[in-house]
This record gives sequence, C-alpha cells and structure tokens, in this order.
Amino acid sequence: MSKDLNMKVNVLPVLTYNFLHVNDSALQISDLNIETLSSPKAKEIPAGVTLKEGVSFEEAGKLFLENKDRILAPKEDTVFPNGDTSSRDASQAIRTGMGADVDDLMIGMGVTTDVYTVDEGVKVEKPIIIRYDCEDGKGSLSSQVIHARKDSEVTVIMAYTSDKEMSGFQGVSTRLLAEDGAKINLVKTQTLGNGYVHFDDIGGACFKGGQINLVTLELGGCKVWSSAYVTLSEKESVFNSNMGYLCREDHSLDMNYVADQRGKKTESSMQFKGVLMDDAKKSFRGTIDFKNGSSGSVGDEQEDALLLSDNVVNKTMPVILCQEEDVEGRHGATIGQLGEDLLFYMQTRGIEEDEAKRIMIKARLESVARMIPDAEIMQKIQYYIQNIV
Amino acid sequence: MENKQVVADIDRSLYDFKDVESEKDFYRMAEGLTKETVLKVSEEKNDPDWMRDFRLECLDLYNKIKVPDWGPSIEGLDMDKISSYVRHKSDMKGKWEDVPEDIKNTFERLGIPQAERESLAGVGAQYDSELVYHNVKDEVAAQGVIYTDLESALRSEYADMIKTHFMKLVPPTDHKFAALHGAVWSGGSFVYVPKGVKVEIPLQSYFRLNAAGAGQFEHTLIIVDEGADLHFIEGCSAPKYNVANLHAGCVELYVGKNARLRYSTIENWSKNMYNLNTKRAIVEENGIMEWVSGSFGSHTSYLYPMTILKGEGSKMEFTGITFAGKGQNLDTGAKVVHQGERTSSVINTKSISKDGGIGTYRSSVIIQNSAKKAKASVSCDSLMLDSISRADTIPGMDIRTNDADVGHEAKIGRISDDAIFYLMSRGISEEDAKAMIVSGFANPVSKELPLEYAVEMNNLIKLEMSGNG
Repeated sequence: MSKDLNMKVNVLPVLTYNFLHVNDSALQISDLNIETLSSPKAKEIPAGVTLKEGVSFEEAGKLFLENKDRILAPKEDTVFPNGDTSSRDASQAIRTGMGADVDDLMIGMGVTTDVYTVDEGVKVEKPIIIRYDCEDGKGSLSSQVIHARKDSEVTVIMAYTSDKEMSGFQGVSTRLLAEDGAKINLVKTQTLGNGYVHFDDIGGACFKGGQINLVTLELGGCKVWSSAYVTLSEKESVFNSNMGYLCREDHSLDMNYVADQRGKKTESSMQFKGVLMDDAKKSFRGTIDFKNGSSGSVGDEQEDALLLSDNVVNKTMPVILCQEEDVEGRHGATIGQLGEDLLFYMQTRGIEEDEAKRIMIKARLESVARMIPDAEIMQKIQYYIQNIV
Repeated sequence: MENKQVVADIDRSLYDFKDVESEKDFYRMAEGLTKETVLKVSEEKNDPDWMRDFRLECLDLYNKIKVPDWGPSIEGLDMDKISSYVRHKSDMKGKWEDVPEDIKNTFERLGIPQAERESLAGVGAQYDSELVYHNVKDEVAAQGVIYTDLESALRSEYADMIKTHFMKLVPPTDHKFAALHGAVWSGGSFVYVPKGVKVEIPLQSYFRLNAAGAGQFEHTLIIVDEGADLHFIEGCSAPKYNVANLHAGCVELYVGKNARLRYSTIENWSKNMYNLNTKRAIVEENGIMEWVSGSFGSHTSYLYPMTILKGEGSKMEFTGITFAGKGQNLDTGAKVVHQGERTSSVINTKSISKDGGIGTYRSSVIIQNSAKKAKASVSCDSLMLDSISRADTIPGMDIRTNDADVGHEAKIGRISDDAIFYLMSRGISEEDAKAMIVSGFANPVSKELPLEYAVEMNNLIKLEMSGNG
C-alpha cells in the first residue's frame, strides 16, 4: 500500500523560540510502500504471560482509556506553563513521546496490536524477544501493548536489524502499563541499514510502586525518531531510561523523552550517551515535569554528547517543568569533543588519538549495551559497535 | 503538622506612589496605534525624514508580525487602550532645580539625585515618554564621553553614527514588539565612550512610567569604542494601576575591540506592566560584555538579553535573578551566539517563585561552526516557595562544531529543611535561617551589583519569614 506521511511529531511539552527549530519534528515521506501491518511473533511466550494477537489499535488502547483517571490523576489548581502543548496530544489513550499523529497513522492504516499481559504476581525471568529482521525495500508498521498486572515483572527485548546497505521503513508503537508494584523492562536495539527510516514511539504509565525501565540503543538507520513519554501516576513509581546512540554520515536522530511525574515520591532518571560523526544531525528533547501533587519526587536527566566531526549539528533541549515545592530536579549536559586532558593522558600511555577516540566511542555505547539481558543480542550489538568504530 | 515558611511579598510602597498628571502640564496622545499616531510621535520628536519613514515601515511590520506562540499570554494588553506618547510640557533640564517640582519630587523619593551626587558619573531620568533630566559630570565629559538623550544626539555631530547603529542590532523584523518599538520609540539615552577611555564610576538611566494606560518605548544606544570601559546602570519603576501599561524598550550595545561594558538593571515595574523589552549586544575581538539583571516587577515579562560574540576571544557573562510573586508571569533568561574563535560565555541565573507566580528561565546558546574552541557554561537554579507557583526551565542549545565545550546544569528545589535545622541548631531563629538561605541563594547576583544597588535589591527581596505551624 502506497502512503504519503506528513506528520508533526515529538512536540516539546512547552514551546520555545521558533528560531531554534526544536518545538517539534516533521516526519514527511512520500510514496511509502507499507506492506506489513503487524508485529513479528515472539520466539517464545513464557508461562504467566498471555499474548493476544491481532487486536485493533483502538481496542488495545481501551486498557488505558479505562484507567485514564488513575493515569492522569487530575488535580485542581493546576497552573499551566508558558507555551504549554499538552492539549495537542490529549486525544491519545496514553500519551506517547511522538504524539497523536502516530496513533492516527496506526488507526488509519489498520495496524494490529499484540497485547502481552503478565499475570498478577508473576515474575518472568526469561526475556520475551521480538526480532524485527527487516528486508530491503520493505515498509512495516507494528504495535505492542505490554500490560504488567500487580506485582508482576517482565522483560521484553525488541531487536531491529537489517543488512547494512538496506533501505526501508519501519515504525513501531509500544504502549506500557505497569500496575501496582509491577515492573516492565523494555530493551530496544536498533541496527537497521543505512537507508532505513525508523520510528519508535513509546508511551507508558505506572501505578503505585510501578516501574518502567527502558534501555535503548539507536545505532543504525538514516532517519530515526526515538521517543518515550512515561507518566508516573501514583506514589513511588519509577522511570529509568538509559540510551546510547550513534549517528553518522548524513543521518538524523530526533528524540523526545518525557517523565511526567504526578504521584508523590516518584523517581525519574534519564541518561543519554551518544556520539555524532560525519554530517550527522541530532535533536534531543528531554523533559522532567513535576506536576502539582508530586511532592517528594526527584528527577535527574543527563546528556553526554561526543561530537567527532566539525560538520555535525547537535541540538539539546533539557527542560524541567515544576509546580511542586517539595521536589528535587536536576539536569546536566556536557557536549563537545574528547577533552584535551583525557587525550593527553591516553597519549602518554602510548595510545594514538584515533585509537583513543575509538576507545571512548566504545566505552559510551558499550556501557549501555551491557544492560541488554540476553547474551546473544548483547554480543551482536558489541560486535556491531566494534565494526562501526 | 509540618512548619511551613511564609515569604512575604516584595514591599512596593517605595515605588507605588502616584503623581496626578494634569492636562495643563502634560501632553497625552490619544490611545491606539495608527499611522496618524505614529506620524504624530514623529512630528513631536522633530524626526529627520529617514526616521519618520523608518517608523512607518515598522508600523507595517508590527501589523504583519504575529504575537509569539511560546511565551506568557499578553491577551490583557490592548493596544487600543495604550497611549504611545505622554510628556510633560517642559523641556529636558540639565539641573535638578529646573525640573518641574512634581517630577523632581518623584525622583527625589526614588533617590536618584542623591545617587548622582554620591556615586554616579552621569544620570538620565525619563518620566513617561521623555527625558526630563540629563547630566554628565564635567570630568567625564572632558574625557570625551558623550551621554545624552537620543533625540539631541540625532541632531548633533553624532547623527550619522546613530543612523548606522540604530535598530541594526535589533532589527524591527526581529519580533512584533521590536517593530512596535521602532514605530513609536521615544526617549532613552545615547552613550559614546571614545577609544581607550575608562569611565571609573557608573552612568545611570532611570525610567519612570507614571501615566496610567501608557506605553514607554525608550531606546538606549551605547557604543563603547576600542579599549574603553563603562558600567551603565538602568533602573525602572512605575506605580500600580488597574489598567495595563506597556514597556517595549530597546537596548543596543556595541562593545569594541578590547573594550568592556557592564550593563546592570534593576527592573521593578508595577504589577500591571507588560514588559516586552529587547536588549542585545555585539562584542568585537577580546571585548567583554557583562550583564547583571534583576527582574522583580511587571505583570508579564519577556526579557532575554542577547549577546553576539563576534570577535575572536570575546566574552560574555550574564548574572540574573528573577522573583515571580502573586499575579506575575516572568519569562526571562538570556541568549548568546558564538561566532568568533575562542569566545566564551557564562550564564548564571537564579529564580524564585511564590504565591502563584510563574517564573520561567528560557535561554538559547548557539555555537556556530566558525566559533572554534568556544566555551559555554550555563547554570540555572530555581527555588520554589510553595506549590501554587511554577518554576520552569527551558534552555536550548544548538552546537555546530565539535571544537567547542558546552556545559549545562540546572537545579530546582525548595529551601532545605536540613539547612534550616542546621542553622537553628546553631542558635539562629527559623525566620533568620530562612532569610539567610534566600539571601545566600540571591548572593551571586547581589555581589555583582555596586553596593548601593545591592542594598536596593536586598530591600526588594525583603523577605519576611515567619512560622505559622
């Protein structure tokens, strides 16, 4: 099926100066050939996990709509920030990083959703692995919902690969609900070919003591959108995100990560480590949003971007929004090339500059790769990193 | 029940007194913004032809450019209810004794003549749309320093210099209120510091908007030539009315090679003021631009002083504090563009929000590809004093070379219970402990101000602490 995409995605939770061109991102592709409208099947479904296949995108969203009041935990006396954009994506069953245009695409194209439900109290030890072995010239859209019932725990690995020279389109929506005391670990590795356009739109919510942990490695593709919006709805819920990225040649990477902290004593930690090479372009938006009622919450966001070419474009928007007195929010960014002191130190130990750079790229990416809880995928990723650098 | 600190609002009684402006003494232009009003301002100002034409071009731009979609709401501002030009019927004076009594009294109460006697090299005092007093000390004038009102300068030997600099750094195409400023600007100062001249004590301009429902659109143009040095202080205040007032000033600063300019502002407009001000500096080789900015007043503020680090080795330092109290929406910050090699910038801001006030720190740091070995550092801290207020931090960075170091950090939080407990355990009362902590928070800004102004700022942040259990 041929399709033209003209979407506005990754809208910043609050608008800022238009001249920075970071308020949103345009996902525009003409004459896209989309053949596949469902997810590949997981190799193995562990005991305690139910997989319901082929559910319509809207039907799968009902899980979130039915819990909307719990998820949004609306408060009186809310004062909105300047340039607030929250109403734009309010139609979504659950807010996602890329926003409502992805939902509209999924619904319009008739994409089906695979719904994984983890039974109450079940702690699944073995990860569920979903492999996307993408082919040349193909286009696909897919959608998952991962629902961890009370006190359950599950790890899902989504691995997107294709040969280095391949082109195509792959878009995915992943929606997560971690109920009371439940934990969802979502690991995403992306090593698509140099001509691949890819988007990964994540949205999630945590109830009391619930936890969502993301580990993301964006290493391939020519145009990539990678985003997550996690709502910490209730007390003591937690969102951790660790991301490693590599963007090279004339590729682009556009990110929008939001920790929406509504419950008391919630915690968010978002760490981004990346490398830009050649003529790469990257836009990073990271927001910690302390809503009123989130007293006792903490949020931390760090970006460490290593720029290895004089032609890269690096845009960074680390935002903190706050309408709560008793919170601690912090963000930091270090952006630049390898420090002269570090280079000098390495050279005094006989390591040439190029080798030192290789070591530092590997160190950054492998620190995230080591979090992959599957030995085979981890080795493949490490091998991929080794080959690239 | 947990003890909760109560931080009182700023004591504004010093600034809130009003003078009645009679028709006999004051000329007030009709409300609204039309071609006729713009031409009338131009006629009042006795503009040269180029300036009149420029005003009309700006009016066209104003009508075409949209209101920004990202900042605080300015729906309460109705240009049809704002008078663009109000002036006293007497001329500008060079001696305080010649200034009309009522206006003189206003500035006396604000302490301007006293400050001039004690610690300033020159003073310009603007009341509504026009300067009412301008003076520079003889010894400073003898160094060749020009400090005068912009209108006089336009008709002096510096006319060409003004024509080549006026609204070139802040073009009227920049945003809607820069266009508005270009159309109806009035008043403001022109400063020229010749090559190598170091002005040892500061110059000050004070802007007082007394008329209700009026706009103030002063233009400040400062040129600090090669190797010269100047500290310029800007103060602003207004009494509170229940109708909207507008301030859309414009500040253009040219810092020459090896020159240094420090520009300090204590802004304390009343809480019915829409402060839509634009400030910009361009810095040549090894020049230094220092901003010290305190934003306390206004109903709504858009204020982001911008620095273009054009010359190799040029530097910028911005130190700012914003206090957003009840009914205030203060959207403030800084912008910097690194163009030259080895340029460096440091932005250090503090913001306090209370009583439903909205304090937003917004910034942009742009490192162009030409800015090799540039260094930029941003640090912004916000202090929340209750949960009905907002403190938002929206910084942006755009980096286009790998040969640069950019660091950014931001923190948000409240007065720490541990710190209060620690101080109380050393015999300090709870109120004093909280006052000490807030003063400490504001200290990086107050220590950058001359003593008299630091005292004024501390008066402004007159935080009364009490426990109410």
